[in-house]
Amino acid sequence: MARFLSSLLIAAAAGWSAAAAQAPVTAGAVLRFAVIGDNGTGEAPQYDVARQMLKTHAAVPFEFVLMMGDNLYGSQRPRDFADKFEIPYGPLLRMGIPFYAALGNHDEPDNRNYPQFNMNGQRFYSVARGTARFFFLDTNFLDRQQMEWFEGALREATEEWKIVIFHHPIYSDGDRHGPNVAIRVALEPLLVRYDVDVVFSGHEHVYERIKPQKGIAYFIIGSSGQLRKGGLTPSAMTLAGFDQDRAFLVASIDGGDLAFQAISRTGVVVDSGVLHERVLTER
Amino acid sequence: MRSHAHAFDRQAAAAAHEDLATRWLRFVLDRFLLLPLGVVIALVWAQTEPDGYFRFAQAIAYPVNEIGMAIFLALIAQELYESLLPGGALASWRNRALPGLAAVAGLVGSVVTYFLLIGAWHEQALAPAWPAAAAVDLAAGYYLVRLIYPRRSRVVSFLLLTGVLTDSIVIAIVSLRPSSSAIHLAGLTLFAAALASAVLLRLGGVKSFWPYWTISGSLSWFALNWIDIHPALALVPIVPLLPHDRRAVEVFADRPDADPVHAGEHAWNGAAQIAVFLFGMANGGVILRHADTGTWAVLLAAVIGRPIGVMTAIALVVAAGFRLPAHLRWRDITVVAMATTTGFTFALFLGAAMLPIGAVREQVTIGALATVVGALLTLAIAAVLGAGRFRRGLERS
Repeated sequence: MARFLSSLLIAAAAGWSAAAAQAPVTAGAVLRFAVIGDNGTGEAPQYDVARQMLKTHAAVPFEFVLMMGDNLYGSQRPRDFADKFEIPYGPLLRMGIPFYAALGNHDEPDNRNYPQFNMNGQRFYSVARGTARFFFLDTNFLDRQQMEWFEGALREATEEWKIVIFHHPIYSDGDRHGPNVAIRVALEPLLVRYDVDVVFSGHEHVYERIKPQKGIAYFIIGSSGQLRKGGLTPSAMTLAGFDQDRAFLVASIDGGDLAFQAISRTGVVVDSGVLHERVLTER
Repeated sequence: MRSHAHAFDRQAAAAAHEDLATRWLRFVLDRFLLLPLGVVIALVWAQTEPDGYFRFAQAIAYPVNEIGMAIFLALIAQELYESLLPGGALASWRNRALPGLAAVAGLVGSVVTYFLLIGAWHEQALAPAWPAAAAVDLAAGYYLVRLIYPRRSRVVSFLLLTGVLTDSIVIAIVSLRPSSSAIHLAGLTLFAAALASAVLLRLGGVKSFWPYWTISGSLSWFALNWIDIHPALALVPIVPLLPHDRRAVEVFADRPDADPVHAGEHAWNGAAQIAVFLFGMANGGVILRHADTGTWAVLLAAVIGRPIGVMTAIALVVAAGFRLPAHLRWRDITVVAMATTTGFTFALFLGAAMLPIGAVREQVTIGALATVVGALLTLAIAAVLGAGRFRRGLERS
């Protein structure tokens, strides 16, 4: 109850007229995962978020972590991989929890070969877990080869849930970058045609959940290390947001439902809800 | 009688008005100003109704960038090739060493600066965009230098040669990059067939451009696609095989040559103008708030890195004991070095050719557009140094 009230307070303080209903991510769910973005600063707030992820894992044992890109900022030597990834997430890594990364603008292209990002040397790839398939794209360069691969992979995917991850958001109320419309015009027809359910992005250093667009739910999780405090200006498109502190997201898929909680660095649930698997009538 | 006089006045006014409109249109066409016009329209459209703009831009990108631009690049190649023929405006080899040095040094200066900046800012994802930082807008540089120097000044030739050599080196490097797919023997065979067909047409005494463009050009276009070289370059290798006359007037001259050999070229000029307008529309529209590291890297590499490279190399050559040509002084070299800083058209072209849709291309496009500030800096520096017309102004005062 106290957590619920605090989430209401935080959301209200951030300027939202209505807080999301509590929808706890249950430990008994079929598939559980965490989402972080723009995290690799190597600074204290990133470590705080990582500790909060570990605490959350004790209650909601997520099986893997999705990374939205900008996985490392600044120099990217072996020492930086330790300081900005291996040490903060060390306890989770030692538990055998894999991290799956998308590339952001600050990531060196060769980072796709870093084993702990599980990209197998690919800029774009997909991973199937349970009833969901996760597609990771490189929105720095949406070349023809990637677009053809993406369409083919979407067409062949048989999983119940299709979840797409890329760095640059195509819907955003962030003050710094806003939506990338060129990428939206290129990608959205495929997302709609092949019944994608959820899109996760980063780049904008805030948390935001967008009102479903053409039946697709959009999240920005770009504040798991970086933060642009006050960097969100809500619009009619905004369902929820949090720009006062760092945050990450945990989600669980149980049949046709995806429950999620956005959790702040200090452990406050700042947004939560349940998405229902997209059906054609929602278009 | 009065009504006749009024009618005559109206006709005269209409004729004068039409003459003014024709002159303005010629001014715009001769200077390829339809390109910046297309860019301005695209920029306004992208800021106000981005979804509609990007749908339009992405729909026309392929035919414009890969077919239409072939016409524009062929025209540029044609003008420059003929200018290099004996008797042409750029024919003399005597003074080509210095522009060659300036081109290489400017290229090195801009590219090194670009990589230093993206390295310092830790954004290696921007590395493939270096050609946009290295490009020189020939037309912009030409008209800029013409504003400062008299038409027959050798500074104009110096600028043109420097720009041509720079862009040629960049395009050669870009074209020779390792192919993402295996080079097909069939593609190379088709390319050889394209050249052979042009040679046969030439040996057959065909004067018209059309058979060269439609037969040899089409074969070359398909061949380059197959080989994985940008097909907008398809007509460039055909250009030296066309029937040529010495270009009597200067490159980019307002008044074109009026001989039969150039008649086809004039017809193609209209198509090229439409192509560059659509090119500006398809590639110039960006959302300005997406300016980021790549924007600044392209801009600073062009506006600071290139002139530093040019000036340093020439200073080293002079320090080694060589003398500058008699007609060039340090202030002229400084002005030329600055006049090559505007990448605009060629930077946009190389950005569009090298980079697919995505965040990197947007940043780089804004940087390419921003290099127009190089033109303003050039004028300011020319005024401060008293170069060309500014020198006469100083002397008068």
